[in-house]
Amino acid sequence: MHARKEHCILPRMTTTPVFDAELLRRHPQYGPRYTSYPTAPQFHEAFGERELRLHAERSNADLIPRPISLYVHVPYCFSPCFYCGCNRIITRDLQKGEFYLERLLREISMVAPLFARDREVMQVHFGGGTPNFLSPTQLGQILDSMGRHFHFSDSPTRDFSIEIDPRHVSPGDIAKLAQLGLNRASLGVQDFNPDVQQAVNRVQSIEQTLAVIDACHDSGMRSVNVDLIYGLPQQTLEGFAETLATIIKAQPGRLAIYGYAHMPSLFRAQKQISEEQLPDTEMRLALLALAVERLTGAGYQYIGMDHFALPDDDLAIAQTAGSLQRNFMGYTTHAACDLVGLGVSAISHIDESYSQNPRDLAGWEVALDEGRLPVFRGMSLDFDDTLRADIIQQLMCQAEIDIEEIERRYEIDFNSYFSGARERLAKLVEDGLVEITATHIVATSKGRYLLRIIAMCFDNYLTSPNSHGDSPRFSKAV
Amino acid sequence: MSSYTPSSRAARVAANDGDDLHFCSTCTFSSVCSERGYDKSRLRDLHVLVEHIGPFREGQHIFREGDRFNSIAGVRAGTVKTYITDRNGREQVLGFFLPGEVIGLNAISQSRYPCNAIALDEVLLCNFSFSKMSELAASMPGLQQQLFRLMSEDIGKATLLAGDHTADERMAAFLILMSRRYASPDMPARRFRLTMPRTDIANFLRLAAETVSRILKRFQTDGLVRVERRDVELLDTTRLMEIASNVLRN
Repeated sequence: MHARKEHCILPRMTTTPVFDAELLRRHPQYGPRYTSYPTAPQFHEAFGERELRLHAERSNADLIPRPISLYVHVPYCFSPCFYCGCNRIITRDLQKGEFYLERLLREISMVAPLFARDREVMQVHFGGGTPNFLSPTQLGQILDSMGRHFHFSDSPTRDFSIEIDPRHVSPGDIAKLAQLGLNRASLGVQDFNPDVQQAVNRVQSIEQTLAVIDACHDSGMRSVNVDLIYGLPQQTLEGFAETLATIIKAQPGRLAIYGYAHMPSLFRAQKQISEEQLPDTEMRLALLALAVERLTGAGYQYIGMDHFALPDDDLAIAQTAGSLQRNFMGYTTHAACDLVGLGVSAISHIDESYSQNPRDLAGWEVALDEGRLPVFRGMSLDFDDTLRADIIQQLMCQAEIDIEEIERRYEIDFNSYFSGARERLAKLVEDGLVEITATHIVATSKGRYLLRIIAMCFDNYLTSPNSHGDSPRFSKAV
Repeated sequence: MSSYTPSSRAARVAANDGDDLHFCSTCTFSSVCSERGYDKSRLRDLHVLVEHIGPFREGQHIFREGDRFNSIAGVRAGTVKTYITDRNGREQVLGFFLPGEVIGLNAISQSRYPCNAIALDEVLLCNFSFSKMSELAASMPGLQQQLFRLMSEDIGKATLLAGDHTADERMAAFLILMSRRYASPDMPARRFRLTMPRTDIANFLRLAAETVSRILKRFQTDGLVRVERRDVELLDTTRLMEIASNVLRN
């Protein structure tokens, strides 16, 4: 009855996705990525510490409280990658990491008591920025502190993961991270082509990258994810094909192919990228098509949105079983958790609420130094929000909506409740992206690559008078 | 702030409030009075004080231990918890009261309430002046019987879990009893929402909160129940009854 249900037994995705460039071309809209619904622009500052505490208390009151997922944001990077839209701070001053660590430990000790002690931590994720700006020793201190203040699960299915910049880590470091209990690594690669690397200010050799992937595999990590980006300046089909071939050979369990979103008015670093060097829409589509073709040809399974996985990876298994979930960290098998975000700009999802820490370092530091929980905005979800979040989650993870299940769970008449969405869907049905039966709304094999456009039909905030649809606040859907 | 989850919205809606001539749909006294030809206007003629009070917000006290007792109250909407605080300052939950049930009955023999009553969510009550009610009961045997029945049920509820029962037995009995109490014509009791937080249930059953969750997880794995946040679905009532039989026999 909520977006993070534990047992999500739905019909499996049976259709193989079909990449239809012509269809994608006709839907060049901007759209949210739906790592949350409602999306972050709906958060407001009337939601503060008091509201967060109430939601945490309520989350403890469940008969079987949800497990906990911890996200730790490390904002620092050694140098700016020009494409980046993340919250990060560029510095080479390692002392900053030490100060940051101190406050993180304080935040952990302040936030942990909000949650009942018997709630197990099933997932830890270090994101950034560059988490390996911190040394394995420093990361160990964070894990230590979290382990003392929270109750780490000892289940073999727990996911303790870290995003790694391969340029600043040695194989020895990887072994140390694995010893700390980190069992999944996610590596930024983007593109190996030297011209592209130059244009985005991220020069990273193939040897360096493969050595880190190997080290991850050798140290017993359960899976490695590699991020690639299409739509970068200077990108060519030949160059990207080589990158894909090199990566496929290294056999990471998971791959993400993100579309570069050029929004220099929002992300200052992107001003360094000259628009003339950017591939046009045709080229973007060709690059994406190439990635889809090469990856599926190499046996990778399309998970949804930007994600692929080998069939024996937990994500692919979860998708086949219908238990796939989606949260701020992307696709996961553990979204039935309450998500506790730690560090500057981190987002939490506790009970029926979202909340976010200050996006500026000073705001986050001051709150902690004054002994306040550092929440600066958020929102409580109402009935409609929760219902739509559930539907969008089903779409993003299973590529279909089980109408009867939604009606049973929420005690609504689907067709009358969603008459507006049905109208908007009609156009997508015409285009062959969606099929509607009496019991299901299904993304067709072609629609599987346009899930966010289907999801947008159910987004109540896009259709309200102060609509933010079709504006470049969100990245391009393709 | 929004209510925590959307399903079973009907359960949160206040009972049909009735009007000058009709009782609220949840009123425990409506049938006995109606049978005798008393409608609400007649009761008013008899100077029986029937007063709708509330809403009480979550966490608000309805009465406290030691307050002067002058009325009993029917719950029209929401859930009321009664509790006492022991000598060590620890709270001890005595019971939960759902729509249609009556609070204050355990004060009848005294002039003061022997416990605290607190709203667990938004609570609406119907207050009955007890002295007026007693007078009326003297001339209305049906009402008298209903009062006795309610009082004995109340005592039964309080002693039910006092025996030497295992944690599993208590939990199963609690689920069975709550499903009976949540039963209503338009809401099958196979599925119900426990409106009280886990810690209160644990306290009431004299178990640790973790134990409540652990047992429910096991019941779920064994296919006895399905638990989703505070919603419970009984999947195998027969086996639950077996587990609870030692408790329920009393």
